[in-house]
Amino acid sequence: MTDSLPAPSVGEPVEPGRQETPTGSAGEGLSTISRATYVREAVLRNLFLVCACVAVAGVALIFLFVGWRGYPIFAKVGIGAFLGGGVWHPTQGDFGILTLIVNSLLATVGALVLGAPLAVGTAVFLSEVAGPRVRELVRPAVELLAGIPSVVYGFFGLVLLRPIVAKVFGGLGFGLFTVWVILAVMIVPTIAAISEDALRSVPDGIREASYAMGATKWQTIWRVLLPAAKIGIIDAIILGMGRAIGETMAVVMVAGNAPVIPNGIFAPFLTLTTVIVMDMPYAAGDHRTALFGVAIVLFIISMIFVASIRLVSRLGREVG
Amino acid sequence: MTHRRLAAVLLVAVLAISHLTGCVGKATGAAQTELTVTGSTTILPIAEVAADMFHAQHPDLRVLVAGVGSSAGIESVVNGTSDIGTSSRDLKPEEKSLGLVDTPIAFDAIAVIVNPSNPVKSLTTSQVAQIFEGTISNWKGVGGPDLPIGLVNRDEASGTREAFSKIVLNGGAFDPKAAVLPGTGQVRSVVAVSPTAVGYISLGFVDASVKALTIDGVAPTEKSVADGSYPISRVLHFFTKGQPNPLSKRYIDFVLSDAIQQDVVRAAGFTPIKKGAK
Repeated sequence: MTDSLPAPSVGEPVEPGRQETPTGSAGEGLSTISRATYVREAVLRNLFLVCACVAVAGVALIFLFVGWRGYPIFAKVGIGAFLGGGVWHPTQGDFGILTLIVNSLLATVGALVLGAPLAVGTAVFLSEVAGPRVRELVRPAVELLAGIPSVVYGFFGLVLLRPIVAKVFGGLGFGLFTVWVILAVMIVPTIAAISEDALRSVPDGIREASYAMGATKWQTIWRVLLPAAKIGIIDAIILGMGRAIGETMAVVMVAGNAPVIPNGIFAPFLTLTTVIVMDMPYAAGDHRTALFGVAIVLFIISMIFVASIRLVSRLGREVG
Repeated sequence: MTHRRLAAVLLVAVLAISHLTGCVGKATGAAQTELTVTGSTTILPIAEVAADMFHAQHPDLRVLVAGVGSSAGIESVVNGTSDIGTSSRDLKPEEKSLGLVDTPIAFDAIAVIVNPSNPVKSLTTSQVAQIFEGTISNWKGVGGPDLPIGLVNRDEASGTREAFSKIVLNGGAFDPKAAVLPGTGQVRSVVAVSPTAVGYISLGFVDASVKALTIDGVAPTEKSVADGSYPISRVLHFFTKGQPNPLSKRYIDFVLSDAIQQDVVRAAGFTPIKKGAK
């Protein structure tokens, strides 16, 4: 086979396996690159295309599968009754997930209220305050937070945090408060990393201009840098929201999983994600379909998040 | 219910295949080499481990075990698709005339556990029911301190929850505000560190970290379970149609042997039906 093909240009380091790829003569018009280089480039280009296609196909397949398995529940109980019903007791035929939606939002909003200032503060510290040596210490620590498996957060919450909460505030220690604390720590790395990028991308000229006007460091951060980076910071917070609402393992261990809207922040509650992990092992029939329905709702919520990030970015471009 | 039906269909398929392939010997009059045991999912941990150990000791004999639920197990032994039907409930009146022979193999006793620091030592069954239904929500209501009760429930997949609900609540509904935890170990560890918590676990899993309450004046011990005086308990049954056939008899005897009773039954959290030799 190889004999019949024109030999590659002399002097090009060519991997032996590459030169026998029989492609057309598309590369012959270019005298500056060899045939082998051209082929290699084409192969790599298509490889990246395949990678991108796999990601897109993955999302599409999951959405189709979840939709296919879940949509019968909308037909069976009706979209209004499914999304608007307050009673989740699937083994007795009550498939209302409003309680779970509300609980998921309560958990997410609380985590953001606690976690976002912490994360943006960390980003400001890393980008504006810390010296290079401190930064080299703090940044890996924050990045490490992102690498801890969520089940470890959950275990930490169950074994260490929950008994403390129970001792200080009474009750069992399961509930919104415990979940908020755990989720707040979990979303810090996401929000901090992207916010730091946003702050760093503010040109130094702006900082210098601010100092030149006689502004203090605090005034520069608060009045100049944070407003200048706000689009990136909002993006970061939305991504953090996505992480918080989708978190499952850490939440299931400290939420207490009672399918009611909690009576206070120290009472057990069940969310959209935790109901799936709690019920999937034994759910059958309509119950299982309803769990896929819950997955559809989660999918739509995360699509809304992604869409809002794009919207914010576009607004940012138009304004800036 | 659908998954039970599915499991039953699968079982029938397995049986059909095994009849096509393995049971030629039966038709020609040779000794039976394959035993089918179907029924309660609660009993599955005992029946399955026993089946594996039985097969290890007698490589030429095989025991097929399937968990399809107690009612389906009883039905399958009545209509002859299984040699042994396992059940975590007693026979209903209409099932008593079907000629089934009962071999009790273990007790499933459930302890109501509280934190060791809780001064409450004893409750009645109806108090326990009211606590788990949410009608009594303060320890004061049962003679304890003025503290809200921290209810700990199991998830609906739990056989313990099913048994507890049948025996104690008797058709009533659990308080939906209770924390729902997905495992015996979690229930125990939460109760062990929460002074106001109350939960329930299989008696076999009670240890020193929690306090098992006396119910209706009877402390949960192996003795009170075995003599039937402890109220939150049920018997796990093997049913055969008529006297067990020789292979069934060998398997049942094996399940009743000390090897299974003292190790496997205890490891699964149940109470042995027979007093140990040790």
